[in-house]
Amino acid sequence: MLSSFFFLAAAEDGADAGKAIALALGIGLGSLGAGIGIGNIFGSMIQAVARQPELRGELQGIQWLGFALTEAVVFYGLIGGLLAFVLI
Amino acid sequence: MKRLTLAGLALYLALPSVALAAEDEEFDPAHEWELQEWIPIHVGPLDLSINKAVAYLILGTVCACLLGIVLMRVRFGAGPNRRQAVGEQIYEIAQVQVAEQGLPTKAIGRWFPYVASLMIFIWVLNFISFIPLPLSDERFSVLGVELPTLAIFAATSTLSVTLALALMTWVFTHVEGIRANGALGYFKSWIPDVPKALLPMIVPLEILGQFMRLVSLSVRLYANMLAGHMLILTFIGLIFLTHWLVFPISVLFGTVFYLFEVVIVVSVQAYIFAALSAIYIGSAIEPEH
Repeated sequence: MLSSFFFLAAAEDGADAGKAIALALGIGLGSLGAGIGIGNIFGSMIQAVARQPELRGELQGIQWLGFALTEAVVFYGLIGGLLAFVLI
Repeated sequence: MKRLTLAGLALYLALPSVALAAEDEEFDPAHEWELQEWIPIHVGPLDLSINKAVAYLILGTVCACLLGIVLMRVRFGAGPNRRQAVGEQIYEIAQVQVAEQGLPTKAIGRWFPYVASLMIFIWVLNFISFIPLPLSDERFSVLGVELPTLAIFAATSTLSVTLALALMTWVFTHVEGIRANGALGYFKSWIPDVPKALLPMIVPLEILGQFMRLVSLSVRLYANMLAGHMLILTFIGLIFLTHWLVFPISVLFGTVFYLFEVVIVVSVQAYIFAALSAIYIGSAIEPEH
């Protein structure tokens, strides 16, 4: 089932290879947006702490909340891609 | 930090025994998620069998209880020691970062125990999932005795577990919202302040949003743990699938991902799940309008 996802050369027919490429492309493009978002969060955090170091403790909670919410977007894409890969 | 890194490396290097057990069949990391029944229990249409995930859940529950009792209840000597300091640190994170951020002051007394135990439980479940334990479906024999191989598996990387946890938060949210505001007042708070003409469009979206919370809360934890374990197992599997020369690269990448998961993802996911539960329950008790 997933073997062609892990080892593309093992995919014997073209459909499997196509599905593997589509899955990889989907996750790759999906992580593009989340990567930008996570970079934004940490960049803003650095700026905020540089301006007001005494707020670090308060900001840290919000930072991790934002990080996890953004990071989860990739995984929604991954789950959607895996579902499509397995079902179709 | 150095000791932690070494411990992580040692644990990680114990892992290839996972894959070695399955040498006669094609290696596929997805096999780790096919749960075999250990003790079959079927009640009508319900399948309540004990399997790998249930064993991990039981172990996680015991560890979480022990963690709380040993760190915060048992006392040796007169003054505070290091163990107690760790316990107080966990308590402080649960109170300041999780409960006080989401819950209104009047509800902290009632809901702090729930969100704090949720955080500790998920943290322990996530953490023991990265320790190779002899709780796998694969068997190997030493001197004629069949023993389970060491393997890593997360109970939280099965959707049923995370969905059950999310469902609990979701039900508590609505029960507490109705209790605090009355049924009419609570459901009225779902309707936002928009022009009347837009209401037929907005209200279904709001109701859908309530159900999407359930999906996002459960899938976030599930997919994070699934992807982490899949990555680690895949990098080990590359050695068996391609060529032994891949070994240095794949072990390097595998170790990096392993440490990333153990140091950051485990704690962040536990924190997020508890913090979002607190925020949801808090926003149901005190709606904005």
